[in-house]
Amino acid sequence: MISISNYRSKTTRRLVVFLSVVLVVLFCSSLVMGRFEINVSDIGAMVTAFFSGTAVGEDLVSKQLVFWWIRLPRCIMAVLVGMGLSVSGAVYQALFRNPLVSPDILGVAAGCTFGAALGLVLPGGNFSLVHILSFGFGLAAVALAVGIARLISVKPLIVLVLAGMVVMSFFNALLMVLKYFSDPFDELPSIVFWIMGSLSRVTWDDLLIIAPVTGIALTGFMLLRFRLNILSLGDIQSKSLGMNPAVFRSVFIVASSFIVAMTVATCGQISWIGLIIPHMARTLVGPEHERMLPVTALLGAIFLLGADGAARSVSSAEIPVGIITALTGAPIFGFLLYKNRGSGWL
Amino acid sequence: MAVILECHALNFRYGKTQILRDISFDVEPGLFYAILGKNGSGKTTLLHCLNGILAPSAGTVEIEGRNIATLSRKEIARHISLVPQEHMDVFPFKVLDVVVMGRAPFLGMTATPGEDDYRRAMDALKMLGYEKLANCNFNRISGGERQIALLATALVQTSKIMLLDEPTNHLDFNNQYRLLSQIKGLCRTRKTSVIATMHDPNMAMLFADRVILVKNGEIIAKGRAKETMTTANIDTLYGIRTVEVGNIGNKPFFLPESALSDSEMDDGV
Repeated sequence: MISISNYRSKTTRRLVVFLSVVLVVLFCSSLVMGRFEINVSDIGAMVTAFFSGTAVGEDLVSKQLVFWWIRLPRCIMAVLVGMGLSVSGAVYQALFRNPLVSPDILGVAAGCTFGAALGLVLPGGNFSLVHILSFGFGLAAVALAVGIARLISVKPLIVLVLAGMVVMSFFNALLMVLKYFSDPFDELPSIVFWIMGSLSRVTWDDLLIIAPVTGIALTGFMLLRFRLNILSLGDIQSKSLGMNPAVFRSVFIVASSFIVAMTVATCGQISWIGLIIPHMARTLVGPEHERMLPVTALLGAIFLLGADGAARSVSSAEIPVGIITALTGAPIFGFLLYKNRGSGWL
Repeated sequence: MAVILECHALNFRYGKTQILRDISFDVEPGLFYAILGKNGSGKTTLLHCLNGILAPSAGTVEIEGRNIATLSRKEIARHISLVPQEHMDVFPFKVLDVVVMGRAPFLGMTATPGEDDYRRAMDALKMLGYEKLANCNFNRISGGERQIALLATALVQTSKIMLLDEPTNHLDFNNQYRLLSQIKGLCRTRKTSVIATMHDPNMAMLFADRVILVKNGEIIAKGRAKETMTTANIDTLYGIRTVEVGNIGNKPFFLPESALSDSEMDDGV
């Protein structure tokens, strides 16, 4: 029997190595993917020029700009956002003991979207104002949901989900008000495009904020992954097993909300990743978070990197990546439901 | 005999409703305690107060002389385990993975269970004679097997004091007796103190060493099963008239009077 647990961790380890290799390969090929052609030898020349301190050839100047300032940060962002959203999804599903929950259940995405739309409509609104408002309203939405749930204080889990729905519909209603009163030729399209998630706006400045927060939160989740198993048994069981579920829940909710709020504030709504990737990981290695969390992170990164690659190379005009993730996510989720129909979580 | 758990003048209030009033009793090592009472009499609340899931509004619970209000949740968990009422899990964990969760109070915050922990989990299943369950999906086994798996989890956690919340709920005729004799065996071999809420006075009579009768949040009688389980006490407890319909292995067997008269009427058919 010990051999069973050994065997399982061995297969998981092999899968993790395999997925890591896939991720690295995909990352490198994403760097050369896209309408603006940059090939491998160009990148080689740029890197040698960077380290030797000499200027690159004239034909490479524009390529270098695209590479350093657009494509590289964008690919790194895709990896971070993919990991962040999918792992937050897995954490939320364990926390709320519901496999159909995604990280925006507490209204964080709705709040972010409203904040961003407000920033776009406000006179004299600039880009950083949009970011700040979006992030602020996202966290405010979660705080509101948690606050309402605390006020009611019976059946904490269900009430929290209900409070999240209340907050979400409220911010969606506010968003509709904004849309209705916005200028249909200028502001309305920018709101609509902003809502469709895209990685095309990513800059190094965004990464500078997102990378450390996502890194810290993901490390924390990874370290506490066995505790997620116990939390998923419910409050009574986790208490009698010596845990304090209320404290853990707040820590996990705050950390995931930060990840999601930052993501939506910079990239808009990228749907489905938080829902389907954890399910994919569970199908592959089982529901134990010791094994499924690393697999979830890798799959999330691969999925978003691939989707973003497709988004910028399928047509000459770039498609928002949110459309790609939704288009592929829905059928994949349907397939996973079918595949797991006998496993007992439905 | 030594006292391992002492419950003293325990009161519990939920909002304005008093659920438990002045509950006091001692628990000795290696004995089986049955808490009997009507639905809603506060049995489950009492269990949850004993391991600190709920904080009493007055009174104390002491484990080996230490007040649990001063102990960390982890420390309490190392002394008292709880087998909850049958439940389904959301995720299709393997039984072994559920059982190994009993090691949680012994693992560091960021640790994951290692080989030794899995071996202990396997040993617990073996002891109950159900090692074949180890690799099964927890959500796909029968209610009786699920209860065994949860019992194994509690065993892995600690066999000092075990709280069982209606352990025979949802179990079939045969499984009820099997589970209870397994638990009784633990009392005898491992000196486990068991405190179980139960519905059937006859079942309590068969397995319990001591009974605690709880009505409207108060203890109306407690003590040795044989001396405490009288028709008079059972009458007050359930608010009905009961009769002793004979002896089984020197232990009385009870039935409500109404059930008897019903069956007599059936005989005429």
